[in-house]
Amino acid sequence: MIEIKNVKKKYDDGTIALKGINLKIRSKVATVIGRNGAGKTTLMRILSTQLMPSSGTALIKGYDVVKEPNEIREIAVSIPQEAGPLGFLTPMEHLMMYLAARRVPVTEARIDAAKALREIELWDARNTPADMLSGGMKRKIFVAMALASNAEVVFLDEPTTGLDPLSRLEVWSAIKLLDSEMLITTHYMEEAQELSKEVVVVEGGRCVGHGSVGSLLKKFDGLVRAETSRPGVKTRYRVGSTSIEYIKARDAADYIRNGYTIKQITLDDLFVMKGVELES
Amino acid sequence: MNLRFIGEFAWSYGIKSIPRGPSYVVASMMYPLVFLFLIVIFSSGKFLAFGVVGGFIAIVAENSLFSSSDAAFQRIELKFQDLLVTTRISHLDYILAMGLSFLAPSLPGIAVYAVIGAIIHIFTLASAALFAAILVLVLLSTLSIAFMIASFAKHTRNIWGISSIMVVLLTMVPPTFYPYTILPKAVLYLFMLSPVTLAAIASQGAFGLTPQLSYAIPLLVAETIIYFAIAMKLTKWREN
Repeated sequence: MIEIKNVKKKYDDGTIALKGINLKIRSKVATVIGRNGAGKTTLMRILSTQLMPSSGTALIKGYDVVKEPNEIREIAVSIPQEAGPLGFLTPMEHLMMYLAARRVPVTEARIDAAKALREIELWDARNTPADMLSGGMKRKIFVAMALASNAEVVFLDEPTTGLDPLSRLEVWSAIKLLDSEMLITTHYMEEAQELSKEVVVVEGGRCVGHGSVGSLLKKFDGLVRAETSRPGVKTRYRVGSTSIEYIKARDAADYIRNGYTIKQITLDDLFVMKGVELES
Repeated sequence: MNLRFIGEFAWSYGIKSIPRGPSYVVASMMYPLVFLFLIVIFSSGKFLAFGVVGGFIAIVAENSLFSSSDAAFQRIELKFQDLLVTTRISHLDYILAMGLSFLAPSLPGIAVYAVIGAIIHIFTLASAALFAAILVLVLLSTLSIAFMIASFAKHTRNIWGISSIMVVLLTMVPPTFYPYTILPKAVLYLFMLSPVTLAAIASQGAFGLTPQLSYAIPLLVAETIIYFAIAMKLTKWREN
């Protein structure tokens, strides 16, 4: 689906956002996780033909993002990070405008827009100006655009950032309705686990991990996370004022006695480990 | 060119937005109408026709220039431009769609001026047709300037200020509401950098209010083409 070879990006102000990404993504739904500033959005913008790479090649279903952007735009939909609707316009108007931009014939567009709005449960709000909708509903307008487009590939850049837990669940349900191949960026680990089986970890402009959730967490087999905020504690990993150690589950009781809190391993831990290793 | 997108955008974002945000229409009509009022008062009615002709031009130019705020807001805050970049539309489609949608709130104002113009009998069929063509050139040239500005804006707050400054510099200061003949030649030539000045000169000539400058219309066409070409070149679409 997506093949990325040594993609680098240096912005005009000298910021190096990508330092050479190499990836082959084959799953139907894959997630790119990383901290703010890790390079996720830059990568997504390059893959969805919004931004030119400085060097390297990226192929979407065999089409080159630099040489064949129009072919990619024909088959792919991209929903930018923190995309906001035009406040005065209704969900139906957004969809009709977007489908017009994608050159979908008007009769077909009406049918596809209505179908998407019904499926995503925005039908009752179809004629309500976007400004009057909740945050989750606003974000669902964009998922509806992707749904109505019947695109082969969908890029979703942080689709739930800033949403409350309930709105996030609503958006996840909407995303699950998409039958397209998807690449989703997020910094919510549970989102990556919920929506995809293939996860790419990006940190400092590089790909530092790639595989299934299980394979990425394999190194943590039999371990739990012990953390404490007590000052002066020396541990291998540290995030802010929290000292973190990965310990064998059978040693947990000793750590609890020493004031540590024990937590189950999640994708967050991969993030903690890679982030700290790269910084050091 | 994607005419259906241009039409759909102009219809939804322009026409349909009028009843949802009528204050914008009133606001965009206010300054030319206030100018008209002041001109009539201070010239004892002598410059009424100038105020009407200038009002037409000012309302179209003002709305076009203010489209820079929306273009910047849609790019910086809403990421709406990014959404459109990944479809098959070009920046030409987007610029024209935005221009038409900003012409929509000008329509009530144009209608008001048309009524006033008809009452004071300044129109003939030929002059009205020429004037309509001049207004199209004003729309395209000021829209081009608006998109050039919007492309370089890094913060939306700046663009709100810049668009207001541009409205003053391009529509209030030049001889939009007063006879161009009262300006010293050097100042007039400087003001001709603004397509609004040329549109005003051509219109005042077309309505027989001042002597016609033969080069005003060709120069306006040339400026429109130049500004449009520069806007097409400078407008950020797919980013490098």
